[in-house]
Amino acid sequence: MKKKLIQHSIRLLYFVSLVLFISSCGKKQQTAVDNAKIKLVVASGAIGEELKETQQKAKRFMQLHPNVIVEVLDTPDLSTDRLGFIMQTFAAQSDAIDIMQIDVIWTGDLREHLVDLNVYGAAEHAKNHFPAIIENNTVDGKLLAMPMFIDGGMLYYRKDLLEKYGFEEPPKTWQQLEKIAQTVQDGEREAQNKDFWGFLWQGDAYEGLTCDALEWVSSNDGGTLVELNGDISIDNANAAEAIDMAKNWIGTISPEAVLGYGEEDTRMIFQSGNAMFMRNWPYAYNLGQAKESAVSGKFDVAPLPRGRGKSSSTLGGWELAVSKYSKHPKEAAELVFFMTGEKEQKTTALTIGNNPTILKLYKDKEILKAIPYIPILYDTFQGAVPRPSTATAPNYSQVSRSFFVNVHNALSGKITGEEAVKTAALDIRNILKK
Amino acid sequence: MRKYLQRDQKKLAFLLLSPSFLLLLLIAFYPLFTVVKSSFTNETFASAQKAQWVGLSNYKELLAMRVVSLPKSAKKMSQVEILEHLNSHDLSNFKPLSRIPIFGETKILVASDPDFILAVKDTLFFTVISVFLELILGMMIALMLVAQFKGQGFFRMAMLIPWAIPTVISSKMWGWMFAPSRLGIMNVMAQWLGFTDGQFPFLLNETSQLWVIIAIDVWKTTPFMALLLMAGLQAIPRGLYEAATVDGYSSWRQFWNITLPLLKPTIVVALIFRTLDALRVFDLFQIIFAQKRFSLASFTYYQLIDTKRMGYSSAAGIIIFLIIFLFTLVYMRIVRENIYD
Repeated sequence: MKKKLIQHSIRLLYFVSLVLFISSCGKKQQTAVDNAKIKLVVASGAIGEELKETQQKAKRFMQLHPNVIVEVLDTPDLSTDRLGFIMQTFAAQSDAIDIMQIDVIWTGDLREHLVDLNVYGAAEHAKNHFPAIIENNTVDGKLLAMPMFIDGGMLYYRKDLLEKYGFEEPPKTWQQLEKIAQTVQDGEREAQNKDFWGFLWQGDAYEGLTCDALEWVSSNDGGTLVELNGDISIDNANAAEAIDMAKNWIGTISPEAVLGYGEEDTRMIFQSGNAMFMRNWPYAYNLGQAKESAVSGKFDVAPLPRGRGKSSSTLGGWELAVSKYSKHPKEAAELVFFMTGEKEQKTTALTIGNNPTILKLYKDKEILKAIPYIPILYDTFQGAVPRPSTATAPNYSQVSRSFFVNVHNALSGKITGEEAVKTAALDIRNILKK
Repeated sequence: MRKYLQRDQKKLAFLLLSPSFLLLLLIAFYPLFTVVKSSFTNETFASAQKAQWVGLSNYKELLAMRVVSLPKSAKKMSQVEILEHLNSHDLSNFKPLSRIPIFGETKILVASDPDFILAVKDTLFFTVISVFLELILGMMIALMLVAQFKGQGFFRMAMLIPWAIPTVISSKMWGWMFAPSRLGIMNVMAQWLGFTDGQFPFLLNETSQLWVIIAIDVWKTTPFMALLLMAGLQAIPRGLYEAATVDGYSSWRQFWNITLPLLKPTIVVALIFRTLDALRVFDLFQIIFAQKRFSLASFTYYQLIDTKRMGYSSAAGIIIFLIIFLFTLVYMRIVRENIYD
């Protein structure tokens, strides 16, 4: 009798716990949020001061809209990890995140999960931003994201050395760059700095090489890998010539090790005073001017040189998009317009030095004072080349990998530039056919 | 009466076991089943597109290999010529696995996904070499640390440090040490010894790449191996050695005739742990090579997150599972023969 009782109670306990377990799986967590208020969650970047900045913006928005509560979520630093996190949220069609900060190259890939901001009146905001970036964010006529800040490749140069060796201005063409780099490198090596190099760039086999190589190709009138209408344009003589040109830098004005360099490797060498030129993103400017930098006050920036065509800079940057699974898309869109608006972009530019995407701000006196290189950026961004992420979506990452692997093979001398562009073209055709 | 009790006990046993069995079903078999299912579809990760049943085509794409005859010597043809030859022979999905000819001058091996085939090859090579080195070095360290000497505790602790550092940190650290310029200590040392000009790209050179990864893994995991072996060594009765010494056996023969046979079960278990672990290697490859060179696990990750081919990535996952399963079967046999005989 007693035994039966024990058995029964075990059975009961087991059953109850099972029911509890299963029911708790499906249940939404109750939050302390006042039901009358609308809650928006923003998945923000958290590199450097980014997170704090977004929290400040959220606070200012809440003051203007007392019926909304904005929560700012921290996301992984590494770009692919962040993409993984966002993809998982989308895979679950979760409404847990309303707004996400996304990379410019993700817009095409994420298109089926993002709200068309034009529905909520984006047009009047969009006209203030750089046209290249708005074009990049528009898929099938839908505007899927608003730009927060913009990035592009620039040429960093040592103005003290330029003067020392009697050159008047930074190079306008790649040929001029080669000549200056060689002269300065020879001179500095003679003056006992044997680790000195003429030109540093990102040559490791990763997304960064796609950016660099696209700049060489595009500035030599070689197209942009895959054009907006989907044509694969990389297989042409100008593109091959541009890649061969870069191959010739290796061992002469660039170290062989450049084939393993990313942004930070090049920045550290430039910053320690061991290079004449560097191709890098705008973030390196403030770090280079910091007190502990060996080149503080000795360098400046210029638009990248050109070949047969005009100077080109690969478009980078981050933007805000609204999830299709959000319960409050209208309010979320409102928040996106607020955060990417003129006033907020100006604040961010002044506090953490992110480059605005709003044209007007490049003439702003306060910003001109805080970021002296901003007029050069303006020219750079006017010639910004978007990577073909929208035209090749959702296969951009495969296309980009095929391109940088082939360019890397050409740079390390395994194949010629001509073979590289031909192989890449064949490869990309197969990828896009699938 | 007794029979009744037995039956009752059996019932109770089932009852008590069922929650954990259910949990196992839920957390182990359900995900496995989902992966198997998705490996037969063309499902896209995080997409509303309806997945279609594609049968074995993901597996075919991963594993398909052919031997192709070329019109002239493979070494004399450029990469583009080879690709165009493949295209014109309805093999546009295939790419050369390497340019080295097999079975004569004009035949090469092509694969529909060379990245995956290379990932299998690299992962197996990495596993065999690193586990072997870890076993040898771990054994040496274990034998050393099991001996009684002053400061034994300190050395045992010091030995464990590499293992205690998270792989992310140690990988990054080693990545910097192998930097392709004089910023990295390895290049400084290699130049000082006169091997290189201080610019050797350890992480880019195709032959040095894998050895660097193996070196990092050996550095990191040898302590774990040593720890396992030390536990086994301590279980061997001291008396055996005393008797052997009295009988005049040299310590070398003591090692071969006493230590090694009695340690065999421990070695087998340690090898299982390490092999299965090494076959799943992800962090080292992901951090040091990203998309340059894949291990099986980082290939699966790349296919899922970057190219979003969930079905394809699942198929790759199932192949990893099968490879590990095969290794486990072999090991289980060895365990049964060694431990329970």
